[in-house]
Amino acid sequence: MATITAGSRRIPTWLTGLVPIVAIAALVFVFLVVNPIATLRQIPPVEAIAFERTIFQENGIELQLRNDGPDPVRIAQVLVNDAYWDFSATDANLGRLETSDLRIPYPWEDGMPVNIALITSTGVTIEHEVEVAALTPEPDASTLGIYALLGLYIGVIPVAIGLMWFPSLRRADKRWLNFFLALTLGLLVFLLIDTVAEGLELSAATPATLNGLSLFALGALGAVLGLMALEVKLNARRHGAQTGSTAVGGLALAYLIAGGIGLHNMGEGLAVGAALATGETALGTFLVLGFALHNTTEGLAIVAPLGRANEQRPSLWHFAALGAVAGVPTIFGAWLGGFAYSPAWAALAFGVAAGAIAQVLWQIGRAMSKDRGLTSKLGPAGFIAGFMVMYVTGLFAA
Amino acid sequence: MGIVTRRGLIRRLGAGALGGAAVLGGRGLALAQEHSDMTGGQHSDMSQPGQLGHGAGSLGAVGTVDHGRNGFDPTKILTDFDYGETSKDRSGRTVHEYDFLALDKEIEVAPGVFFPAWTYNGRVPAPTIRATEGDRIRIKLVNASAHNHTIHTHGIHPAGMDGVPGAGEVAPGEEFVYDFIADPFGTHLYHCHSLPLAQHIHRGLYGALIIDPKKGRPDAHEMVMVMNAFDTNFDGSNEVYAINTVAFHYMNDPIKINAGELQRAHVINITEFDPLNSIHIHANFFHLYRTGTSLEPDEFTDTISMGQAERHMIEFTYREPGRFMFHAHQTEFVELGWMSSFEVS
Repeated sequence: MATITAGSRRIPTWLTGLVPIVAIAALVFVFLVVNPIATLRQIPPVEAIAFERTIFQENGIELQLRNDGPDPVRIAQVLVNDAYWDFSATDANLGRLETSDLRIPYPWEDGMPVNIALITSTGVTIEHEVEVAALTPEPDASTLGIYALLGLYIGVIPVAIGLMWFPSLRRADKRWLNFFLALTLGLLVFLLIDTVAEGLELSAATPATLNGLSLFALGALGAVLGLMALEVKLNARRHGAQTGSTAVGGLALAYLIAGGIGLHNMGEGLAVGAALATGETALGTFLVLGFALHNTTEGLAIVAPLGRANEQRPSLWHFAALGAVAGVPTIFGAWLGGFAYSPAWAALAFGVAAGAIAQVLWQIGRAMSKDRGLTSKLGPAGFIAGFMVMYVTGLFAA
Repeated sequence: MGIVTRRGLIRRLGAGALGGAAVLGGRGLALAQEHSDMTGGQHSDMSQPGQLGHGAGSLGAVGTVDHGRNGFDPTKILTDFDYGETSKDRSGRTVHEYDFLALDKEIEVAPGVFFPAWTYNGRVPAPTIRATEGDRIRIKLVNASAHNHTIHTHGIHPAGMDGVPGAGEVAPGEEFVYDFIADPFGTHLYHCHSLPLAQHIHRGLYGALIIDPKKGRPDAHEMVMVMNAFDTNFDGSNEVYAINTVAFHYMNDPIKINAGELQRAHVINITEFDPLNSIHIHANFFHLYRTGTSLEPDEFTDTISMGQAERHMIEFTYREPGRFMFHAHQTEFVELGWMSSFEVS
């Protein structure tokens, strides 16, 4: 015993830390070489393919596939609307999580449903139903421009218009300022609920092996922790300047709100871009107007913390920057959604947006608790009003 | 950010992106898994006239079926008539003796698509038994498969030779001899009659039984066409339709016949899950002999529908060379493999 103890003392710490790693490597090796599970696995393979992207081109259909199951899959034949059809694949043998592009030179009909069934080597069929076939936009200059314009209409311009409430906020008395801060809170709570709900739906739509819920949670926690770190840094700088406050100042808070809303708007752009690209929706005037109306209130949320009397009036370029932070991500979202949509990335993006909004809520809540904002006379009314405004304007985009 | 719209959009996108997952139930897959050559990625040549090639891609399966691996070739099955081991008994009657082995076997029914078949002698359809009316047929069935099986022939025979549960059903490892007189003449079939019946038939246990009339028939180029189908994903509807098992086989490898020569096809429908199958020949008409039980034709037509186990003998002659399609006139079946053609020279 004594000798062992003495011996172990001589082993360096880093080496003892390696022991479990070596052990798990040995276990992996044994499993891969001996494969003891094989004797347990008499059940047939589970074949699953996720259709990550369906692209309708002038002369056919392109499918981006991923093996979403635990076992390899070999695509033997392709049926389009119950007919064997010519196809080519970059790789018809898909290992676990491997991807393949399938090209089917099928004369699809605009506006009609298309059913695609992959027949695997074992005779299993894996089906993919497209409700409405429509030409997928190519990422060329003109479509990029159209999507940018779309992002401008539903994201950038409405937010900028909302910022124009600043002068009147500036003149409002403290009771009404609290009202508008509470309104911002209500607005953001609405956005948070909405973002979480959509993120969870996207998680469910993500290929099972990619675990969409974890991606969503990763995005959310990453955003919260990242913004917390940023706040600590900002506070440290303020402490250096001897201001002595622990809460973030009005302008910083405005930027945080703008950032959170920007991330949310990126998700919004993603959803609209993807829906348009896949022919899931038509770009109607009411849809764009609804989104625009809805997002104008986001501008109000951003300038609300700047209205407080103790705040300096920020220079004009700050307003431009705030508008850009909150609005421009909509354009990038629309591009991503239109040309590179995948539910896994979208789940992650919605996670980031949800985390950012939650963090901003926490910031505003703290800023308001100083002046008992939410419990002031007009506080609850403001909160409900903010929530209702979002709900009602949301109906226009329905 | 429309609450309703956005949610709706995302849900629909999600559903689209999710794709499908399929779980396979209780199937032997050794062959499918070791089959390594990739069929995807090759464009089959369908530019020849008479095939369904057109501008925007074409109908048809991609790749080719390995007939060597299957152990049978639909082109050979067409004219492979098996008279068995023939001899005369004491009364001078011709006796046809057959050795049948019931065997579970994975077969390729479309390029790269494997089906866990149950077979007689490893092939689908099973050997075409052929004799003349009044001959004696003796089939010894040895069951080397994992399930009970029978050979139930369509014909006139004693109850004990009917090949149903309780009369000639053979358990795994056992054997039985079906012994009967070929009667009546015509185009017939045989199949397994063990339970569950739909499974035992659809898995591949069937074949043609052709009884020639004593008087004989005029000389002709004779063919056996068994219209069959396969439910490869076991959902109760077929993914593959064909004659003699392999989807699009005679489209890619047309049946070579001669102009001016009488053609006689024994067409048998054993398609499971669909109430009807049919045959239509292009640019020609055929004389239809219902069940082949008459020496005079019943009808002159170019399309005939049949229920399961219905079968007819058809006769036709092409006047000129060329490529002529023939196929089911349920177009759904055509696009799922039951498309063929004659190369008339």
